[in-house]
Amino acid sequence: MAEAVATTPLPRPRHVGMSPIAWLAAPALLLFVIFFVLPFGTMALFSFLSGNPVANPNVTFTLRHYERFLSDSLYFESLVATLRIGFVTTLVSLLIGYPLAHWMARMHSRVGHAMLLMAVIAPMLTGIVVRTFAWMTLLQDSGVINTTLVSLGWTDGPVRLMYNEFGTVVALVHIYVPYMVLTLTGVIGRIDERLEQAARNLGANRFRAFIEVTLPLSLPGILAGSLLVFALSISAYVTPFLMGGTDVLTLPMLIYQQVGSSFNLGFAGALGVILLAVSLLVVFAYNHVLGRFAGGEKMA
Amino acid sequence: MDQTAAGQAGAASIHLDGVSKTYDGRVLAVDDVTLHVNPGEFFSLLGPSGCGKTTTLRMIAGFETVDRGRIHVGGQDITDMPVHKREMGMVFQSYALFPHRTVTENVAFGLRMRGLARAEIAERVRAALELVALTGFEDRRPGQLSGGQQQRVALARAIVIRPRVLLCDEPLGALDRKLRQQMQFELKQLQKELGLTLVFVTHDQDEALAMSDRIAVMNAGRIDQIGTPGEIYERPQTRFVADFIGEINLFDGEAHEGGFHLDGGRQLPAPVSSGRRRRVLAVRPEKVMFVEEGGSVFSGQIESVNFLGGYTLYRVVATGRRPILVKETNLSERRARAPGELVHLSWNPQDVVLFDH
Repeated sequence: MAEAVATTPLPRPRHVGMSPIAWLAAPALLLFVIFFVLPFGTMALFSFLSGNPVANPNVTFTLRHYERFLSDSLYFESLVATLRIGFVTTLVSLLIGYPLAHWMARMHSRVGHAMLLMAVIAPMLTGIVVRTFAWMTLLQDSGVINTTLVSLGWTDGPVRLMYNEFGTVVALVHIYVPYMVLTLTGVIGRIDERLEQAARNLGANRFRAFIEVTLPLSLPGILAGSLLVFALSISAYVTPFLMGGTDVLTLPMLIYQQVGSSFNLGFAGALGVILLAVSLLVVFAYNHVLGRFAGGEKMA
Repeated sequence: MDQTAAGQAGAASIHLDGVSKTYDGRVLAVDDVTLHVNPGEFFSLLGPSGCGKTTTLRMIAGFETVDRGRIHVGGQDITDMPVHKREMGMVFQSYALFPHRTVTENVAFGLRMRGLARAEIAERVRAALELVALTGFEDRRPGQLSGGQQQRVALARAIVIRPRVLLCDEPLGALDRKLRQQMQFELKQLQKELGLTLVFVTHDQDEALAMSDRIAVMNAGRIDQIGTPGEIYERPQTRFVADFIGEINLFDGEAHEGGFHLDGGRQLPAPVSSGRRRRVLAVRPEKVMFVEEGGSVFSGQIESVNFLGGYTLYRVVATGRRPILVKETNLSERRARAPGELVHLSWNPQDVVLFDH
């Protein structure tokens, strides 16, 4: 066989050129390079330098920023808190968002669909700061909920609803649920309704049909929506800052401190690199686990 | 389990009594449909799109609620029974195979829902796949199969549960002509072998005529006529049925003791009627003969000639009316007629059908 191949060379495959349309991706690629690869490269480089090379020509390579991260448990706890807030926010957004997305995707009335879509998108038209302040008026010690609880005599004093992780997660969920819903609606809407009908016809009740058919087929949407919400919530700054008070210290807040008040660009860079590395690890693990549930199909 | 027993109880009859369905409380999709399907019968619901045939089928399956009337299967009232308890097999037009599962998993689904033992599931799946000639494809996913193979998986998935009735919603619609004819034959054979009660929805009259024991022709939510393929074709009872099934020539006129008078006075060959009534005379193109000038009913010019293999379809223009269709079998000794040729037409009185407007 090998000889046959050698003596009669296969016809050369025609040159597979790039589609002319591919050039349309150039602006996005340029944007990605200039505003992500370049700054991230700079940040990563800074994290290994002993000082700012612009101001001080005698900088040397060092690992001390990373050593500092490991030396103080405060920083590690901050990383854990960031990831915990990210996980809880993602999970709650999924639990709230999935039924809503399913309802929207299966709605036959066009008017109903439009109304729901408006309801989902409307909060996004208000700024994050405004919405966070709205939550503060509801959740703070002298807020609407606590005043009501106390006046009804259900609690002795105000229940601590904000300036902690709970309040942070509540506000983050409110902000990121639309992203989850919109991502999921697209995926669920493309699942043929007759698949669920076929399952019911074969003896599965509605719940079983959902578990056996719709849920596994919507895993790509769950994956995409979760990653989106997770990425947004672990990098959130304003909401944890306003809702978390002094109890919550996430990595983005820590980074802001290092850049804004400590002027330690190297350590801020190291924190950025660590946040990215850990979240990439989480993303890969999540992808792997969900991929196995989907029956080994490659998804993201 | 008792469900298994029900599954093995064999083919059941289906009774629809005055079943109606409205959409949004206004549009009458199915209007007072009454029909009886016998155990082991191949029964077709035939009609144009939007006639209510699919809605009727979906009501039997339980996917649509019934607004009025009752549905009985095997003597049991199932009108309000949930879909998953109805013990019915269904083949969807789009097949609705689970794309994330293999052929085996698709076919095993219904058995798994019934909680059967692994070994029995494996054996019944194997037998079902053998029945539809898909042995060797067990581990493929639906996306890796051709349309015809997907169709077979859908069929195997529906019959493996030993359903009381099998419902088919235009199952052959997506196949090309050759494969379609083969599947028609196979489905019919399978239905007879297993003794299944089968309700078959189609808009294809040829398919319905070829496969069915009986056909219900539906029009605008109502049943126009129920009968054997022969009855439906030879003895249509309404203008719609006559027009929908095959080609036909229709003449408005008056029936009386002497035969049939076309509007305008011409006498047409027709059986004798009692009493004078305005009626429609219908005659199939293959019943119209080319004759000598003396004994003709109509004379006219051939407008067009359609050679269709086994036969030729002529359109003949007689003065002042719709062209008359004539179908002539292509026998070797026949000479071809050309467009423009003057011809004379007639038919036998017993070959026509009369019905009210």
